[in-house]
Amino acid sequence: MVEIHGVAKSFQKTVKQSTSEVRALADVNFSVRENEFLSIIGPSGCGKTTLLKMIDGLIPCDSGEIVINGKKVSAPGPDRAVVFQTFALLPWRTVLANVEFSLELRQIPKAERTQTARNYLKRFGLEEFENHYPHELSGGMQQRAGLARALAVNPMILLMDEPFGSVDAQTRQLLQEELLELWQRERKTVIFITHSMDEAVYLSDRVVVMTPRPGRVAEILDVPLARPRSADEVRRDPKFVELTNYIWNTLKKAMENHA
Amino acid sequence: MKSGLGINLASILSLALIWEVAGRLLDTILIPPLSKIGGAWLRLLVSGKLLANLAMSLGTLAVGFFLAVIFGVLVGLLMGRFRAVEHFLDLYINALMSAPMTAFIPVLIMWFGLGVESRIAVVFLFSFFVIVINTLTGVKQVDRVLLEMARSFGAGERENFFKIILPAALPAIMAGVRLGMGRAVKGMVTAEMLLTLTGIGAMIMQYGSAFATDSLFAVILTILVVAMLTMKLVQIIDRRLTGWKVEIAIE
Repeated sequence: MVEIHGVAKSFQKTVKQSTSEVRALADVNFSVRENEFLSIIGPSGCGKTTLLKMIDGLIPCDSGEIVINGKKVSAPGPDRAVVFQTFALLPWRTVLANVEFSLELRQIPKAERTQTARNYLKRFGLEEFENHYPHELSGGMQQRAGLARALAVNPMILLMDEPFGSVDAQTRQLLQEELLELWQRERKTVIFITHSMDEAVYLSDRVVVMTPRPGRVAEILDVPLARPRSADEVRRDPKFVELTNYIWNTLKKAMENHA
Repeated sequence: MKSGLGINLASILSLALIWEVAGRLLDTILIPPLSKIGGAWLRLLVSGKLLANLAMSLGTLAVGFFLAVIFGVLVGLLMGRFRAVEHFLDLYINALMSAPMTAFIPVLIMWFGLGVESRIAVVFLFSFFVIVINTLTGVKQVDRVLLEMARSFGAGERENFFKIILPAALPAIMAGVRLGMGRAVKGMVTAEMLLTLTGIGAMIMQYGSAFATDSLFAVILTILVVAMLTMKLVQIIDRRLTGWKVEIAIE
């Protein structure tokens, strides 16, 4: 269980020697249940990515706290793994060595980490590409490698920062389906940042809608769609249409209030 | 790649031909035909004079350049890693990067005398700064997302340095080493001509003042070949170390 209590964050922004303070997040409160798939959606600049980095422990909160299973987050830990929007693969390593990277940092012996990495590559259909370099793969395959790297350390919580934001629409849909299938099998807690309403509703149990900067929680919505969800059927479901419309209106209202 | 090699060859052959013809037609001591230069080169080779001097020059080059690489990369890494070090040294490195190093030769003579140490120092100074600056740039250009990713998976300072910063900066470091190699050859010849007459530089001065243009050109061409071969050597090492980068260039 991930609890976010009154979290706020500001940044110093320096433009031409004049420093000003930008409030990225103000008093964010919500919690994520175990094995829940939760999406966070909001306009760009609302601090979604900042919030995710704070849950990962990469940056500290100014005030408030984030608690995971009773323990306050102060640094990255083995219970969490991040999937990055720009994949963040090491260009000088092969796909296999990239997936091994996360295991290497956890001091797993060489033979074992190669085997684990191969297992995950296989699961994402990348076994034939293990000796390729990232730039030789398509965006979708690169992100599959990114996913394999995150899952290889077997985290309880998967933090995903607009992971499908930089691939084309068809690949995006395939990746969404693969992710759901995987989540159905492995049952992990997923916190998923997106700015696609469609994606948020299709994947999630609940959707957190955020306001523009400084980001706050505008509304938390349940997604009342049965699982397993098939991509084509779900999108024709009236409840799906209704919910995406509702999120759109909530976002619009939040943005109008802001402007 | 292959067609490039063909054009290279054609370029060399046509230049050689023009040179030969021009040399014969003009019939002046200033431009000896290539065949005469070749003859002079063979004589210098057989007498052992060329190789002995070349060995001496290359020894200086190797030591000076080796030191420049070691200290250049080290200083560049420290500057890239620690803001304070960068701000402390920034000014001098940038000033000395474009300063004419020949101006320092009298100072070096006073410090190190007229021996091989001075010549090594010249080679070092010629190549050191460009290696520092390229290493520094390489470290500063490391993609911050990669550092964040590593930290997220539990990397500490040490692991961040060895597993992310160093490999990410390697192509820039090697670019600095390549540029440094070219400058080191310049430093070597300069030192041998201006500091103490030794090695291949001494041969240039000797044949130049004696108007022995065929031998002079033979030595100059030898230097060009040496410069090219040393660059090639660095290139081969570069390709071994940063093969992943070269592949990007080819595609």
